[in-house]
Amino acid sequence: MSPAREAIYLPVLFLTVALLGGLRIGERVILVPPPLFTLVLALLLIGVLVKGAALDSDRLMHSRRPTLANVNGFILLVTAFFASAQAFSMVTPDAGLPRVLCGGFLFVLLLNTIAAATDRVRVLRSLLIIFGTAFVLKFVVLASLASPAGGTVSRILQILLEGATLGTLSQPVSDPATGYVAFFVLVLFLFGLSMLPPRRSRETTDLVETR
Amino acid sequence: MSPTQRPARVSPATDTTVRALGVALTACLAALVVWAYVRQPQTLAEVTGGLTASVGAYRIDQQAFDEARQLFQADQFAGAEAAFNRADPARQDARTQFYLAYAFYRHGWGRVYNDDVLFAQGLEAVNRAIALSPDGRLMVDDPDLQMTSADELKADLEEGLHRDPSDFNPLNVFRRRK
Repeated sequence: MSPAREAIYLPVLFLTVALLGGLRIGERVILVPPPLFTLVLALLLIGVLVKGAALDSDRLMHSRRPTLANVNGFILLVTAFFASAQAFSMVTPDAGLPRVLCGGFLFVLLLNTIAAATDRVRVLRSLLIIFGTAFVLKFVVLASLASPAGGTVSRILQILLEGATLGTLSQPVSDPATGYVAFFVLVLFLFGLSMLPPRRSRETTDLVETR
Repeated sequence: MSPTQRPARVSPATDTTVRALGVALTACLAALVVWAYVRQPQTLAEVTGGLTASVGAYRIDQQAFDEARQLFQADQFAGAEAAFNRADPARQDARTQFYLAYAFYRHGWGRVYNDDVLFAQGLEAVNRAIALSPDGRLMVDDPDLQMTSADELKADLEEGLHRDPSDFNPLNVFRRRK
């Protein structure tokens, strides 16, 4: 990995994700800090990346590297951690039963991915599916249920649904712009994850050490 | 592999420069992110104003401030509020925020009842003024004002928003606006 990518491009990308991941556009623009649970999920995600060879921590921090390079590696890990926390916070529903269920599912899915992680491509593909599904659930399915109903029929359906679920599905209404920003941030985040230094195969490692 | 085919290696000095630059850039950006989460800016003016204020370079629009004070003294509070907002678009000047809060107080004050919405906006403004003041203490030297400290104004605004049986005291109609 080039020094510029490690020291500048990726940290800036992840900090952008950390900044915009908490953006909620409603009547006011709010920046929501990551909840405690998403920090746990972020830690698991880093574990998934390391276990699945999508991130080689030795290539970021190692006793053989110069101090400044280790500082860069540390900063990259920290920014990736906070970006992950904000990415999870972004795709988790804001309230009610969906929030609890989604949190639980993400937790189990990440543990499952850690257990099944075999190679980098599969891990990245799995993360794409996890984040993509959570995004669709929050910004398409739940947002359409929470959006102010246009006609009388849809309003009646919403009231019936709310009554049947005792209001546990209802979510705070947010501006559609939030979804667009979230999509952009998610793409940026997944791109950043794919650019992290992967674990080298044994042959490559031997070759590099020989040179 | 011939020398011409070998990929060009970047000198260690350039590597170090890039890495040092990365640390500095990331530190600045991280500070910006933390600042944004703490301050929650609502407009671009608040972002730029907050950043310039953090390096001590923020200045209010003095002409708009003077206009606002004239409107305030002439009891044209709606106009004064707009002009105070124009004078301090980033909401970074404690004195202007104090005057803005005072304008909301006088605008919302009523002999029989107070306007809760205006009082709430006043309370927000005076809280900003207090937060922006060193040590949280703000005194404004203005003989036209009966309340010259932000704490006093805040207490009156909070009292105006508070509901209790004394609100129904008919003698309240004789109270005077500060």
